[in-house]
Amino acid sequence: MSPRPESERSDWTDLDLLTREEASGRLRAEIAEIEPRLAAAESAERELLETRLRALREAVDELAGS
Amino acid sequence: MPLQPWMKLLSVDDHLIEPPRLWSDRLPANLKEAGPRIIEQSRGEDVAPAEVWIYEGRIYPYIGLNAVAGKKPEEFGLEPTRYDEMIPGCYDPKARLRDMDLDGVWGGLSFPSFPRFAGTVFIEGEDKELARLCVLAWNDFVLDEWCATAPGRLIPLIILPLWDVQACVAEIHRTAAKGAKAISFPENPVPLGLPSFHTDHWDPVFSAAEETGMPLCLHFGTSGSAPKTAPEAPFAVTIALFGCNSMYATADLLFSPVFHRHPKLKVGLSEGGIGWLPYLLERIDGTWERHRFYQNVNQDVRPSELFYRHMHGCFIDDRFGVKARHDIGVDHITWECDYPHSDSYWPKSRAYAAEVLADVPDDEVHKIVELNTRRLYNLPA
Repeated sequence: MSPRPESERSDWTDLDLLTREEASGRLRAEIAEIEPRLAAAESAERELLETRLRALREAVDELAGS
Repeated sequence: MPLQPWMKLLSVDDHLIEPPRLWSDRLPANLKEAGPRIIEQSRGEDVAPAEVWIYEGRIYPYIGLNAVAGKKPEEFGLEPTRYDEMIPGCYDPKARLRDMDLDGVWGGLSFPSFPRFAGTVFIEGEDKELARLCVLAWNDFVLDEWCATAPGRLIPLIILPLWDVQACVAEIHRTAAKGAKAISFPENPVPLGLPSFHTDHWDPVFSAAEETGMPLCLHFGTSGSAPKTAPEAPFAVTIALFGCNSMYATADLLFSPVFHRHPKLKVGLSEGGIGWLPYLLERIDGTWERHRFYQNVNQDVRPSELFYRHMHGCFIDDRFGVKARHDIGVDHITWECDYPHSDSYWPKSRAYAAEVLADVPDDEVHKIVELNTRRLYNLPA
């Protein structure tokens, strides 16, 4: 077994993946952006925002727990 | 708001990380040991071992580059990682769909990771039958498991056993019958030790693509050759110039016999941006006008005409390209998200696309984010 790959050639070495921390941070930032809009929102928009907030919070929880 | 709620965002360039048992679940028993599988590798005391791919005894240490919790961007580098350090949407199709919903993205086409974007890691295989079966296994995973989770939303792209033209043809027909929609192909085969677009070597492959209606997706970097100006130049130079690979591929194809021999062949340039297209097409046409007479190039059809018959570009955040869309041709622009790479705007891809396209008429936005992709990849609405 060679200690290093035979070829170091890669077509994605600049393309780092989202980390869990970075993903959680982005989700929290989106939550923080939406929350203040809730109070001023009319009912139809409010419903949409609440649905999105719920989904975003669930995603944060899942990333923290899984 | 030009990006209307009823428009379905379709991304032509996303990525998946192969789950650990992709090959061991599909290869014959006598080949499982040599085929790609995940092993653990020590990273030192008090640190969970890395999970790395091993294939024919060679270690490929990066299952998910930089998917390491707790790292700051300035600390990113090349190092091994683990599945539990990634977001599940990288390798779990149900989690991917949840993340797409959060992002306001309806559909996406994902390129491989361990096999490289066009499956070129298997060219290195010593046992070519094993390598061929590994290609088939990746395609079967995509068709039977990944995309079967949400047909119509997860769009099946396949890879090919590039060292064997007849095997490529057979795989195109086999996967087309199972619902494949696109073929990942190297932007330039030559740096990989394969014949160029200027030979007749690939004609059976391109004919099979025409017959099955599957476009070739040329993702930048799939030639294995990255723009590099100096050994000591920062990697930022290479990243900034990556779109040049798509420029090379465009000029290479437009001056090659490929489109003259294959009038139905379609090509999507993946992740190369679009803003450069008007300049390059003008330059290519000018070159053809002045210099075609003494060269082995087609004498009758302007290269830009070929572009408009055959090729498409895509963008994530090319604001200049959006401004220049009429010089590019609105029908030749598609949109990409690039999830789960960190240069994606997840979970705000839809909001960001709306911002970038804010000054574009609704009908043009609809073409760019959805309709052009449906036409190119034969995706019914």
